[in-house]
Amino acid sequence: MKILKFNAIWCPGCLVMRPRWNKVINELPEIEITEYDYDSNREEVELWNIGNKLPVAIIVDDKGSELTRIIGEKSVDDLFEIINELMVK
Amino acid sequence: MNEGDKMIYLDYSATTPVNKKVLETYVKTCEDFVGNPNSIHRLGVESNHLIEKATEQIANIMKVKPSEIIYTSGSTESNNLIIKGIANKYKSRGNHIITTGLEHSSVYGPLNYLQQSGIEVDFVSVDENGLVDLNHLKSLMRDTTILVSIASVNSEIGLLQPINEIGLLLKEYPKCFFHVDATQSVGKVAIDLTNVDLATFSPHKFFGLKGISVLIKKEKIELEPLIHGGKSTTIYRSGTPALPLIVSCAKALRLAVEDLDDKYEYVLKLNKHLVNSLKEENDVVINSNSKCIPHIINISVPGIKPDTFVYALEQFNIFISTQSACSSGDSLSQAVNTLTKDEEIASSSLRICLSQMTTKEEVDEFIKCFKICKTRLQLKNNK
Repeated sequence: MKILKFNAIWCPGCLVMRPRWNKVINELPEIEITEYDYDSNREEVELWNIGNKLPVAIIVDDKGSELTRIIGEKSVDDLFEIINELMVK
Repeated sequence: MNEGDKMIYLDYSATTPVNKKVLETYVKTCEDFVGNPNSIHRLGVESNHLIEKATEQIANIMKVKPSEIIYTSGSTESNNLIIKGIANKYKSRGNHIITTGLEHSSVYGPLNYLQQSGIEVDFVSVDENGLVDLNHLKSLMRDTTILVSIASVNSEIGLLQPINEIGLLLKEYPKCFFHVDATQSVGKVAIDLTNVDLATFSPHKFFGLKGISVLIKKEKIELEPLIHGGKSTTIYRSGTPALPLIVSCAKALRLAVEDLDDKYEYVLKLNKHLVNSLKEENDVVINSNSKCIPHIINISVPGIKPDTFVYALEQFNIFISTQSACSSGDSLSQAVNTLTKDEEIASSSLRICLSQMTTKEEVDEFIKCFKICKTRLQLKNNK
């Protein structure tokens, strides 16, 4: 499982979500994270069809297929719940 | 092809056309004062005296000391210098900064940058009117809080925050500085900086020139500079002093504060006329409220993409904007989302800005064209 995170420097939601994701990453170090910048990584933004609300985190399987995407602000508990559910499957 | 004859500019919060008197001051200073203010010869000394005079005028109007004024290239640089400058200078004191969901991208930018190196950021809630919740602010304060950064007027909706009350509350926390981004308030409403430690504004928002900003930093506060390269007019910002811009900034500020109350009342009348007309349209949501300055009217037309609306009005030679000019063109309005908590409303918001230059005829023409555009775009959507 891998997480693709889309952030922007001007995005207040990204400020909210960064420490929450850090908590998740600290507890689940086996998950690989790749970060993309909304303004400079336009190819990936278009490829993954990122809409007009940030931040976006796309959880993909080992083959790179999208399992789910998390848009906007979510609590740490919600993040763990989503990830744990996908890990069980 | 333009459908209207005369241009109607209603994007004054993005920038303003320069006042001819300000431009004349700029040109005259360029022509008459060739010396670098830091040169020791007579031409340099004359230029330096002119900077001192202009700085004194700005300081008098803002009721601060001349030594508390720093010139930068724009409010974006000023906000960066304040936020990064405080975070870096006072890192032994703490690593916690508080802001709101109603700030300009030049506040979020440095915060996002700093967060990656250990700065912790909290957002203070706003009430149903969009004003800062003082009790929540108090509850967020920590021993390690070094900065609270709040715009006096939000650039997208026009919300006017109770800066004095917030400043008074923060006096109870002497380790924490209070930064006010006053870019959208100076020249539109009176602002009292008594309880403010650091402030920012730019004259291009009040009929001055682009390329200069005033950063106010109260005495005894230190900033880690962003630019290193010599003392110039201050140790906090190196570079040859932009004398013509500084002098024209003082001129623009003097003109802006002249008859400020009368100009405000005039804009308020136009605002009421426009808002009352827009209220007659059932499919228009007015996001700005009574706590907003009358110069900014934020509305939403759900179902119509805001950029499409802007381009449609442009065909009538009418110019408004979708959101703050410095935001991403694709994103929803963060400020409208913070206030309304409605993504559809936030994704379809338009900003109409008035000034003392706006006439009632322009507002009437805007209303007429707005209705035409709305009907056309709705018909197109329904096809």
